This record gives sequence, C-alpha cells and structure tokens, in this order.
Amino acid sequence: MTQMSTLDRLSRPASESAIEVRRLVKTFRTARRSPGVRGALRALIAPELESKTAVDDVSFSVATGELLALLGPNGAGKSTTIKVLTGILTPTSGQATVAGVVPYRERERNARNIGAVFGQRTQLWWDLPARESFRILRDIYGVAPGDYKARMREFDELLELCSFWDTRVRHLSLGQRVRCDLAAALLHDPPVVVLDEPTIGMDVVAKEQVRELLRHQVERRGRTVLLTTHDMTEVERLAERVVLINHGRIVLDGTLTEMRERFGRGWRVHVTLTGPDERPCPPGLTVLERDGARLVLGPTGGADAVPTHQALKRIIERYEVMDIRVEESDLEDVMRAAYRDARQESPA
Amino acid sequence: MRGFLPAWALALRVVGLTFRAQLEYRGEFWMRVALGLAWQTSIIVFATVLLGRFPGMGGWSSDAVLMIAAVRMLGHAFYEVFFGRVGELAVLVQEGRFDAFLLRPLPVYRQVQLSAFPSNALGDLLVGGSLFAWAVWSIELEWAPWQIAYIVAALVGGMLVEAAVFTALSSLHLHFPSAITWSYWTEELMTTFGNYPLKILPGVISGAFTFVVPLAFVAYFPVAVLTGNTAGLGVPVAVAAAAPLIGLAAFAGSRVLWNWSLTRYTGVNG
Ligand SMILES: Nc1ncnc2c1ncn2[C@@H]1O[C@H](COP(=O)(O)OP(=O)(O)OP(=O)(O)O)[C@@H](O)[C@H]1O
Ligand SMILES: [Mg+2]
Repeated sequence: MTQMSTLDRLSRPASESAIEVRRLVKTFRTARRSPGVRGALRALIAPELESKTAVDDVSFSVATGELLALLGPNGAGKSTTIKVLTGILTPTSGQATVAGVVPYRERERNARNIGAVFGQRTQLWWDLPARESFRILRDIYGVAPGDYKARMREFDELLELCSFWDTRVRHLSLGQRVRCDLAAALLHDPPVVVLDEPTIGMDVVAKEQVRELLRHQVERRGRTVLLTTHDMTEVERLAERVVLINHGRIVLDGTLTEMRERFGRGWRVHVTLTGPDERPCPPGLTVLERDGARLVLGPTGGADAVPTHQALKRIIERYEVMDIRVEESDLEDVMRAAYRDARQESPA
Repeated sequence: MRGFLPAWALALRVVGLTFRAQLEYRGEFWMRVALGLAWQTSIIVFATVLLGRFPGMGGWSSDAVLMIAAVRMLGHAFYEVFFGRVGELAVLVQEGRFDAFLLRPLPVYRQVQLSAFPSNALGDLLVGGSLFAWAVWSIELEWAPWQIAYIVAALVGGMLVEAAVFTALSSLHLHFPSAITWSYWTEELMTTFGNYPLKILPGVISGAFTFVVPLAFVAYFPVAVLTGNTAGLGVPVAVAAAAPLIGLAAFAGSRVLWNWSLTRYTGVNG
C-alpha cells in the first residue's frame, strides 16, 4: 500500500500542487416553496425544483507555497468553490483534492490539513470569549501547550488580539471577529489555508495586518493560500497569480500582469507641450484627446501595443515636451472591464 | 482527538464552557429554566385534571397512567439533555453556524449537540424527576430486579425513540428550513398524547402513534408491560416489551438517515 502511494506520488507531478480542482461542477437544486406548515408539506411531497449551476467545469491548481486569489463578481461561484475545498459541499461532478485528500470524502482528515476563514460567518463559539474558542480548538486539534502559547503570541503580535480576545464573540465588532477567526483557522498549523473574503469589514490598519499575516504565512511558513476578495488593493499587494471566474466559469488563469494586458485598456500618456504642435503622432500611438498644448496619447494596436518606455521615448523625440505623465489603468478598471467582458461572452 | 475518553473529556469541557457562558446571562438562563418548568407543569396539571375526571382510563389504574406520564416526561428530559439540539437544527443551519461544524475534525452530529447548553432541560429534569419519584412512590409494584432494570431501560428507550423521531425530522432541516415547523408540530403531538394509555384513542390514531410517530414505544408500551396492562395494545406483547430495543434500533436508523442527508447538504447561500 505505502509503496503504491509513493509510486503514485512519484509518477504524478500533479501532487506537487496543494490544491487541485478538476472539472468541478456544482449545481444547486432549490425547491420553491411557500411559507408555513402547508409550504413545508408541499416541499415534502411535491417539491418544485429549479436548478442553478454555480460552478461550471472549473479546473485550476495551486502549488505548495503559492498564494492564489480567486476573483469574480458577486455570484460568480467563488464561495461555492471554497466550500467544496473545505468539505462543506459535495460537488455535482468533477473532483477536488486538498493536500492529497478529497475533502468531501474524508471531511475530518481534510479539516486537519486546512484552515478556513469565511469572513461573513464565524466559526467561533458565539457565546464564549474568543480565547475560550481558541482553547477548545487547541483541544480538538491536539495542539501541544507550548506550540499553542507560541502561536497565540505570534497571532497577537500580528493581529493585536489581546485587547478583545476576552470579549464574547457575539459582542465583537466585525473586524475584531474576523481577526479572531483568522487566528482560530491557523491555530493547528495547517499547510493549506483558504479564505473567503477575509478582510470584509476591516479598517485600513486591520486590513494591512491581515495582509502582513498572510504574506508571513506564505513566505516564511510555506503555506498554500487561496483567497477570495473584492478588494483590489489586496490583490495587488498579495497575489501574483489570479483565477478569474464569472458565472461559474474560468475567464482567466494567470498573473496579474497577464490580466492587465488582457483586460486593461493599457496606458495613457498625458503630455503638455511648450506650444501648439500640429505634427502627426509618432508610430504606434494615437491621440485620444487634444486641448491646445495638452495631449492625451494611447497605444494604437491591441495585443502588440508599444510598451510605455518606448512610447515615452518616441513622444519626447517628436515633441517639445514641458510636462509628461503616464497613467496606467488601475486594477479596479481592469476588473470592471474583465467582468463586463465576461458578461458579454456568456450572458446568463 | 482520538479515543473515547478524550472525546468525552472534550465534550464535557465544551458543555462546561457553554454552561458558564449561559450563566453569565443570568436573566436569560433562569427564564429558560423557568420556561421548562412552566411548560412541563402545565402538562402535569392538565393530566391530573383529566385523570381526576376520568379515573381508570381504558381500564388502567390512575397510578399506572401516572407512570406513563412520568416515564415520558423523564425520558423527554433526558432527550432534551442529550439530543435536544436537533429539534431546532434549522436555526443553526440558517445562522450559518452549521457550516462551521463541517470545518472541524469532529463528528457533526456531536457538534450540533454541543452547540448550546440545554438550560431549558433543567426545568424538564426537575419536573420529570419529581413526577417520576411521585409515580414510583404511588404505584403498587414489588420492584423486582427485572422491573427496576426494565424501567431504567424504558427511560433510556423513551429518550432514544424521541431522539430518533427528531433526528429523522432534522434530516429535513438540513434541506428545508421550514421543516422546523414539523418538529414543533410533532413535539406538540407527543406532549399532548404521550401521557395516556393510547388504547383510549380510536384504532387508526393509536395505530398512527405506533407505526408513524412511534409515540407508543416511548412510555405506553413499556409501562403496560411493567404494570401488566397488556390488553388491547395493538401489537404483540413481545413487541411492546421490546420497546427499549426498538428505540435503540430506531435511533440507529435515524442516525444513518441523518448522515446520508448530510452528504447531500447544500448549505445556506453566502
Ligand atoms: N445553497 C445554495 N442554494 C442555491 N443556490 C446557491 C447556493 N449557494 C450558492 N448558490 C448560488 O450559486 C451562485 C454562486 O454563489 P457563490 O456564493 O459561490 O458566489 P460568490 O462568487 O461567492 O459571490 P459573492 O462575491 O457575492 O460572495 C449564486 O448565483 C448563488 O445564488
Ligand atoms: Mg462569496
């Protein structure tokens, strides 16, 4: 048996990845029903079903020690994907493995390998002070007392928990609660961490603390992190690789740069000339706006656009320039374009 | 957390913590205990009035009828202590707390039971215990060892039958939140009809309470066997006598159903 699995591991490079998602499909069947006992009765006897495919043939993998951001508009299927990875949901078809374990088949084993945070919900005991929850989790996962102390100290340093961890969870503010949830998820030192909107409701300082913590987890601890967020600053600061999904389908799997190239409207150069100048635009560039001595230039082509440094060089060579400023479309613009694009591709 | 003892130690620790947490909301805690008391007492008052009006219900002596009520109520109190959280599972599901149970390396059903301290069960225990003591004191039985063992088994069996019914119903809570109304309705049914010899009801109804909602196995059958009131049970005496075993089997069955239902859990959105 052991030999088999070692062989298996050697022969498949796929096992290098901590998270593997293969052709994942999740269809929800929901019953339409009216309220009350009669509604319940009808739901029991003749449920009216409607189905909704939340995740539609999604495949991606996350390498050990990598941080991947799963992006997409509301209802794209991000949370559903994460719920499959944590064993909360069983997929309709396709498969997923996390650290070599199929989460929905071996839920308890997977739970030991994974730390999960759902920003919108807490996993802490609602009526207990957060620290009691940590202690219970310590017992559940069998964390040694020394490790527990060391980790709590570390989390407190990074997330400043000690001012509120003796407060009952139901009395914590959203940001405080999510920080406690983060600590709770990392307490058993899981190799894989999945986070569904971990910085929801946090102030800028707390957000930065969380980013710091996540960076620390990836860079120093070699943990694999998969996160979803609607905060583009976060993506910019944390993720090298993103998977973009919309209507349950993958739109893009690549680096941030690739996403910018594909969906960004590229750069623009704002130029102020020393005087009005009617000379034609340099090759590869086009004038987008002209207002006396002020010009806004952009690239002509799509894919084989002139890189910014080339463009700047050409502009300076052609014109008498007084002031020049490059504007690159920010990630929010890129995402907006990407979401819109995806919407046109697959109208739902 | 492997092994039986550590699992229990952990469970007890959680219970202790949730208890302490509830004690801190003193007002709410005592209100719940009082509600349990008031609820059960009102049932007893009703039963006593009824018993006073119609002594010798269905040929049963009033002491024996009292014993039915006592076994049911104490069994119910045990149910509330050990299994009561399934009755409102839909609430845990809708609050999203249930999803968190799936993230931990512990059996989900156990986590449901550990989700809150059963403070309302304290009232049930108090009333059920007192009523049981009263019934034991007033009934004329020689209390041979088999009778003592049997009534203990009957109490456990009564708890298990009730746990089976509400566990099975809570399998529906995992998919249809409105199924909670079924649990409420069933509980209402059991408190209304559970305390009397079911033979006083028309055959169809007592049949339903035997084979559909197995209320008869909670207290009526075992007390009938214990007190020798075995005429007109609607099932062979051996079946009635096996009530505790049937309770155990029903509970095991309901747990299989529940686990199957869990594999098809689709969660609440969000
Ligand atoms: N339990 C469920 N039952 C029915 N439909 C569901 C369920 N969970 C999710 N859905 C549907 O599946 C789709 C994807 O939902 P999901 O929660 O995965 O989106 P998301 O990408 O996380 O969105 P958001 O950014 O808003 O969190 C949505 O259309 C949603 O309505
Ligand atoms: Mg979501």
